[in-house]
Amino acid sequence: MNVEAPKLAIRGLTHRFQIEAQTEPLTVLNDINLAIEPGQFVSLIGESGCGKSTLLRIMSGLLPPSEGETLHDGKRVAGIDPKLGFVFQQDAVFPWLTVEGNIEYGPKARGVAKAERARLVEHWSAQVGLTKFRKAYPKHLSGGMRKRVDLARVFANSPDVLLMDEPFGALDVQTKHVMQQVVLDLWRETRNTVVFVTHDLDEAVFLSDVVVVLAARPGRVASIIRVGIDRPRNEATRVSDDFVAAKRELWNAMQAARAMSGN
Amino acid sequence: MSASPSAPKTDFAARIGAIFRPSILLGGLSIALVVALYWLVATRPGVNPALVPTPPRIALTFWEELRSGELAINTWASLQRVMIGFIIGSAVAVLLGFLAGWFRFWGYFLNPLIDAIRPIPALAYIPLVIVWVGIGEPSRIIIIALAVFKPCVVNARAGMQEVAQIYVDAARVLGAGKVRVFWTVALPSAVPYLIAGMRTAMSTGFLALVAAELIAAPTGLGFMIQNAGQYFRTDIAIVGIVVIGIVGSILDQLAKVTGQYLTKWAEVRRS
Repeated sequence: MNVEAPKLAIRGLTHRFQIEAQTEPLTVLNDINLAIEPGQFVSLIGESGCGKSTLLRIMSGLLPPSEGETLHDGKRVAGIDPKLGFVFQQDAVFPWLTVEGNIEYGPKARGVAKAERARLVEHWSAQVGLTKFRKAYPKHLSGGMRKRVDLARVFANSPDVLLMDEPFGALDVQTKHVMQQVVLDLWRETRNTVVFVTHDLDEAVFLSDVVVVLAARPGRVASIIRVGIDRPRNEATRVSDDFVAAKRELWNAMQAARAMSGN
Repeated sequence: MSASPSAPKTDFAARIGAIFRPSILLGGLSIALVVALYWLVATRPGVNPALVPTPPRIALTFWEELRSGELAINTWASLQRVMIGFIIGSAVAVLLGFLAGWFRFWGYFLNPLIDAIRPIPALAYIPLVIVWVGIGEPSRIIIIALAVFKPCVVNARAGMQEVAQIYVDAARVLGAGKVRVFWTVALPSAVPYLIAGMRTAMSTGFLALVAAELIAAPTGLGFMIQNAGQYFRTDIAIVGIVVIGIVGSILDQLAKVTGQYLTKWAEVRRS
């Protein structure tokens, strides 16, 4: 770790779910400690049930943790903050708004003036390649295009940190690869700090600077892997020796995490 | 599907072509079939033409009623009642339905009441309304409003209950406050329910209208039908019934088109 103050810090974070009234609460996350540097692209990976999505929701302020805290620029996250952008796994694009309406939703909610909103719409719809579809309703768009709208909408809100919860989980492999490239391009432009939840090894390696491997039941940090592959990364990266080596390292880390996981 | 022409059609030809679309053709056919069946019965030997008038006789009566101005007066009177009753009933229903469906507190408070009202037919209130309010215009409007209220309140509540959590969360993480979430997420996603409720309400409104106009109404289509029955003028009664059908379906079409415009974003099943 370097001397820079972390963008996001998670300290002593434990979370329990009360499944049924009578039973013991289930510990889904146990004593998580993480520091995420500004501008870093970090993935959280782990088998299903390791609490990675829960961790992300806690980081966003959508869910208050049972114990511990998340710090954003040294300040405790106490609730939802538009500075912490969130991309959901499900299709969360508002179907009753056009592409344009979706992109300017956040700025409008924050009271950004009309002219500036128009500029944001133009810029971000171009960045995700949807300039021609600005007036279209989501029902006319494919799943991949809706995800582009979702990304443009979040970026247009100029967040400081981007939290993404398996955003491409529902897409086919080809579309997924294209969208990963889109995310990297947007990220290169904005240099946001990104926390990306996935269960896909290739995705984690392709996107990240750092991959946090979680063990399950209860969810805890098993290992932290640095991915040193040169940037910018492109389709050729996926077949490079560095990529395969990084993937193997991550695979080993995941095997170790699986061995740690409870039943 | 209609045949897609290779040569560009003139405007007129296109309009004529539109009349022969299967939707309109088949729709007209069902009505024609009922009229034809009725006609067959009406002209059977032994059937009294004074009591079972033939379609030409009914058409003539329609023309007479139209020329005398009676039909217009009665239609307008009924339409006014339905509209006023509809506006009052649906406004109160939407307000209460939204409260019950959106806010947990108001839901706990209002749901038992709404669910208790659901099985009660609006016509059951008629004797009470007469006793309490009298037999004037307010009674008739109250009965229509009560009839409109039920489908509206149930749909407004359902619309709010069915707002997808994902959209609420998405709006909140983008920085929307509670009020904005209501206006920009809950309201638009409830619109399809509201439209459905209002369309149902419109037809129950007409249902209640006839009943309401049985209460010593001086005008109205319900009055016209009731009055005609007393004088064995079945032809006038049928004209009244047909006009209710026509006016009701025109209003329903208007509501449908408005609804389609307001929900043009929604995925529509095309059968």
